[in-house]
Amino acid sequence: MPAQDTMTLEIFRYHPETDSEPRFQSFEVPYNEDWVVLDAMNWIKDHVDGSLTHRWSCRMGVCGSCGMMVNGEPKLTCAAFLKDYYPFSIKVEPLVNFAVERDLVVSLDGFMEKLQAVKPYIVRDDVNDTSGGEYMQTPAQLAQYKQYSMCINCMLCYAACPVAGHEDEFLGPAALALGHRYNKDSRDQGQSERLDVMLMGEAIWGCTFVGECTEVCPKHVDPAGAIQQAKAGAAQEYFKRFVAPKGAGA
Amino acid sequence: MSAGGVSGGRGGRPARPSGEAFWWAVFSAGGVMAALFVPAFVIVTGFLLPSGDAAVAAERSAQFAAAAGWWPVKLVLLGVVSLSLFHCGHRIRHTLMDLGMRGASGLLKLPCYGGALAGSVWLGWVLWGI
Amino acid sequence: MSGQYHRPHRWAWFLERPGYMRFMVRELTSFFVGGYLVVFLITLARLGGGEAAFAEWVAALASPGWMAAHIVALVAAVWHAVTWFAAVPQAMPIYLGEERLPAPIAAIVMGYGPWLTVTAVIVWWVLR
Ligand code: SF4
Ligand code: FES
Repeated sequence: MPAQDTMTLEIFRYHPETDSEPRFQSFEVPYNEDWVVLDAMNWIKDHVDGSLTHRWSCRMGVCGSCGMMVNGEPKLTCAAFLKDYYPFSIKVEPLVNFAVERDLVVSLDGFMEKLQAVKPYIVRDDVNDTSGGEYMQTPAQLAQYKQYSMCINCMLCYAACPVAGHEDEFLGPAALALGHRYNKDSRDQGQSERLDVMLMGEAIWGCTFVGECTEVCPKHVDPAGAIQQAKAGAAQEYFKRFVAPKGAGA
Repeated sequence: MSAGGVSGGRGGRPARPSGEAFWWAVFSAGGVMAALFVPAFVIVTGFLLPSGDAAVAAERSAQFAAAAGWWPVKLVLLGVVSLSLFHCGHRIRHTLMDLGMRGASGLLKLPCYGGALAGSVWLGWVLWGI
Repeated sequence: MSGQYHRPHRWAWFLERPGYMRFMVRELTSFFVGGYLVVFLITLARLGGGEAAFAEWVAALASPGWMAAHIVALVAAVWHAVTWFAAVPQAMPIYLGEERLPAPIAAIVMGYGPWLTVTAVIVWWVLR
């Protein structure tokens, strides 16, 4: 019987209690055609080094927690097959543009703050009044935002965005796309509140339409397109408020 | 401390409503104008007018002069060229910001938008005199 | 404390992905288009200076240096237009009921169609 084929994973390691700088560590893993990078990582954690730290949950591209840089490319590691890299070695790093907590685990604090800033939920004035029954929506109204509702918050788009890496005020692709998703929802009434946030500083205007967020998005959300549409909406609102300042009439 | 990136929210700088909405709207309108008109302008002034043969050049120059002297064309020229200048100014400013001059984002407005404004005023004056 | 690791600032980030380089090329068109617009302004100013001044300027534009500069300007302006029209369907989607107008059709309707019309009219005007 031939010996089991192997592959090399070069993994970014950083343990803040012992390391002042990150380092790379190589691991030999068995090569299986149907393995993804995440399987190899889990194999290392189970059989070689239990201190390897990484996030994952669903293993099927739904939870959005397994995003890492695979050979420099932001990827869901549960959807990155070893056979696409075999026989060459694979370099695994935490998502760029984020602070690293430990090994492949990045800090979510900034992202969560930005996500919350756009109120990613339906805002209604009559939130407690259910007397009218369901909020009805036609398929045509659904089509206006459906694509932008597919986001799984994997943050790959932030790792692909140079502006997200350089500009703290920039809310970033996923948060802006999600804000746009609710602005386009016919049941929502929170557009003005979201635009308050988007019109601030570089919150949305930092975007120069590099477009790589759309390239790496595993869910085909097209955050780049959503942001340009949101800019047009925000600019319209800006001129509207210029003519009739918010709160002046009511 | 935040070293940029999606690391700690707003990174300490207080955000305020910015005039970026206005500049972006002008940038967009100018982008459309530049896309639609500038290639044709280059073809005309860069290749058709200086065509080598003096007689042909004179004839085409006369056509060009007649067109530019007609007031509806003057208005279109002023709008198209002015918006295109602001488009370029905005894009140049943001390119420089993306290349690391983020700290000077306010300062860059002066040469970028000021230059576009100066060009527009000059063009208005020139067209007035044709 | 924090203990978090922050990657160093990458100055040459635009070399890191082919998409970043394409982005940079697109943005740099604005330097060349802007430069051309200044030449265009000078051309119009010379026109205001009378027939002789204009003929002299046009003769100067026939030099190989100016020809080369205008070739660069044309490439930049065309590339600006092509990338702009590629972005239009993404930035301004048109919905026909539940369906979104396909990007190539939207680009033709809102970009290439008007572009060819405008270019044809301007060129015809000077050549007629
Ligand atoms: S927009 Fe796409 S890449 Fe960005 S977080 Fe959502 S699913 Fe991930
Ligand atoms: S593990 Fe859930 S998306 Fe990869």
